[in-house]
Amino acid sequence: MERFEQTAEAREIQLVGFVLAGELYGVDINWVREILTPQRITRVPHVAPFVEGVINDRGRVVPVIDLRKRLKLRAGEISRTTRIAIVEVEGLAVGMIVDSVSETFRLSADQVEPASPVIIGVDADYLLGVARVDERLVILLDLARILAKGARIAV
Amino acid sequence: MADRFELSPEDIKVFLDEAEELLQVMEENFLRLEKSREPELLQDIFRAAHTLKGSSATLGHRNMAEVTHSMENIFDKLRKGKTQVTSGVVDTLFACLDVLRAYKDEIATGEDARVDRDGILNRLRVLDEGTNTGASVAPMVAAGAVLTWDERQEASEGLEKGERLWMVHIAIEPNSPMPAVRAFQSLMALGELGTVVRSWPSQEDVEQDRVGLDLRALLVGGSRPEEIRKGLAEIQETSVIGVVEQNAASLAAPQEADSPDEAAEGAKAEAISSEGNRDRLRGNRTVRVDVEILDSLMNLVGELVIDRTRLTQIVGTLEGRYQVGDVAQDLGRASAHIGRVTGELQERIMRARMLPVENLFKKFPRMVRDLSIKAGKEMDFILRGEETELDRSVIEEIGDPLMHLLRNAVDHAIESPEERVRAGKPARGTVILEASQQENQIVLVVRDDGRGIDPEKIRNHAIRKGVLTAESAKRLSEAEVVDLIFAAGFSTAEKISDISGRGVGMDVVRKNIEKLNGTIEIDTRVGQGTEFRIKLPLTLAIIRALLVEIDREVFAIPLSSVTETHRIPLAEIKTVNRREVIMLRGKVLPLLRLVDLLGFNVEEKEAQEYVLVVIINLGGKEVGIAVHSLVGEQEVVIKSLGTFLGEIPGLSGATILGDGNVAIILDVPSLIKAWVPDAVKTA
Repeated sequence: MERFEQTAEAREIQLVGFVLAGELYGVDINWVREILTPQRITRVPHVAPFVEGVINDRGRVVPVIDLRKRLKLRAGEISRTTRIAIVEVEGLAVGMIVDSVSETFRLSADQVEPASPVIIGVDADYLLGVARVDERLVILLDLARILAKGARIAV
Repeated sequence: MADRFELSPEDIKVFLDEAEELLQVMEENFLRLEKSREPELLQDIFRAAHTLKGSSATLGHRNMAEVTHSMENIFDKLRKGKTQVTSGVVDTLFACLDVLRAYKDEIATGEDARVDRDGILNRLRVLDEGTNTGASVAPMVAAGAVLTWDERQEASEGLEKGERLWMVHIAIEPNSPMPAVRAFQSLMALGELGTVVRSWPSQEDVEQDRVGLDLRALLVGGSRPEEIRKGLAEIQETSVIGVVEQNAASLAAPQEADSPDEAAEGAKAEAISSEGNRDRLRGNRTVRVDVEILDSLMNLVGELVIDRTRLTQIVGTLEGRYQVGDVAQDLGRASAHIGRVTGELQERIMRARMLPVENLFKKFPRMVRDLSIKAGKEMDFILRGEETELDRSVIEEIGDPLMHLLRNAVDHAIESPEERVRAGKPARGTVILEASQQENQIVLVVRDDGRGIDPEKIRNHAIRKGVLTAESAKRLSEAEVVDLIFAAGFSTAEKISDISGRGVGMDVVRKNIEKLNGTIEIDTRVGQGTEFRIKLPLTLAIIRALLVEIDREVFAIPLSSVTETHRIPLAEIKTVNRREVIMLRGKVLPLLRLVDLLGFNVEEKEAQEYVLVVIINLGGKEVGIAVHSLVGEQEVVIKSLGTFLGEIPGLSGATILGDGNVAIILDVPSLIKAWVPDAVKTA
């Protein structure tokens, strides 16, 4: 929760929303570098299954993860709306494959409630909480956790 | 703490760089001094110590100034032949260097150095006094050499009036808390006895606290030496080292000085400063550049290299697709020119990142000396090709492997003097460390004339350690057996010695060298010696690689590990012990499929009648790697896979190809070791 509390001090945060398996997710806009359309991903051997590979992002080699796999949701398919969201936390850039990217929206800290994993069906470890925005439920992702270790397979 | 000193961080950095240089000059010369007694060596040593004393005093590091000052006393004795160079003396001097290095680190890190300052000063004092048989030491500065015209005038006038001229040499005790105050008091006291024409350091310097532990003053006055000593006796924490009368001749300009010994002294003091000036002037032709800037330049050039490749491909496509028109020709020419310029730019920036290996080699003579004394062995250590240049990142990485090889040479390879004599060899062994550039590679050689490596011993040892079965050991050639010293968990040192038994084996040496895309080979003859030959690329950032394809995915294999490629008909693939092998020039090589090494789940396209095989040098042993197709050979820029993926065994990074796609760079030997360690063992 620590990360969120830091940003919550600003009372209001701006989020980028995207859809995964029909649910709306939100990530602090400050962490999102760019949104790319699907492109050729180079497979990397001997990494965790949720790592799809690496892409060339303007001369940088950036790993791409399948966010559905990372959050242990059922597998999806690449469609016309699929995007790769490049996020960057503390200098670590990672691309996340999402079903589609929706609008950005603002949220104040007191709208956020703790997430109940039973309702959402996502590993609560990766969540900061949930919030109601215009009658819709937004799941707030804890990027720091999602991007933390565990990308490679133990040898 | 750096803020203890009244200098800017930049000045401190300059000081630290200079100090390290001076310490190295001293260290090198101490080693040479031990062997030969050339007087020039002492001049260099003296000069280095003197400069260090001066700059550490300026910085305000008393301890450092004090130790160098005491060292200077010893150098002076040595120079005048009052003390002989013995290994005891050299040991003490080396101990001093260790203390000075600790002080240097103290300045750099701000953490108090844990050194026995008094201990080292005592050792120096013992050396100093041990030969000083009560005779007072004459002061050392010839007046004339360093006086200004005005000062000379003042002194000569005094002489003409019948006054006498004295050079007074005062030492301030090392532990004096206020050396500047003592110096000031001394000058005041002398002022009452006559006129101080000039002092070293000057009155101005003394007033501004810029003093060492040494004060000299040229005094004009009627007093006798006893009076001068008496006048100074009251001042605490000082002692008068000498009061020597000067004559008119010593006031003459340097070239006319008639007292050779003393004049040389003064001229030398002058030489130190003027040489410093010359160095500074020369220094203006170079600039210090932050390594990070060089690294980012290298990255940018890397981008250019990628674009150049891409541009060439586009030109090729255009020429193939359309009739060659003026525009296409222009584009071709422009592309070729960009290619040349990029190549040159790459070459220059690589050069800018290079340092002579001297920077690395310098630390070894001392290490070899200490180790050989400890091991009770006698040997000459010879360095060659120190001027050979190597990328600084390679220099940083290659130090440990070299140190390990040298340790082994001293500890294991070179025999004891008695054993050598029994074997009909000279009692002194020889260890050579040599660097040279051969085309696009740097070759580092560590050679000794020691006992060599006995293949039979290795064979038995390997069987005992379970590295090999007795049967497979029999099948190995001698060269292959010797190569076993690079196998993991293999160490022939029966007892753990203080020197080499640190748990780091030759396997780590090879691994570190392979990480640099280098190779290591060994050539040994029983009773005659061993030679290790390390080949390294000039730079780490750009390498030549073979591009291969597996399941529509391109991978780069550094050419340093590829020996050749072959197209092998399926019929020639045999199976031995349920493992695939191929025959190459009468030798049986294990055949591994890259698909399996990568853990890719791909249906093999068995429709083809042959397989493409890349022969990989696995440290002396060859292995065939089957790939789906060969794309070509190309220069690739190594990029990190990033911290998110971390270090994956067998992958050394990624590169961006001409078409903009990413290709993974494979470290095939590590890939095999990490994922199919058994595949090549028994073959």
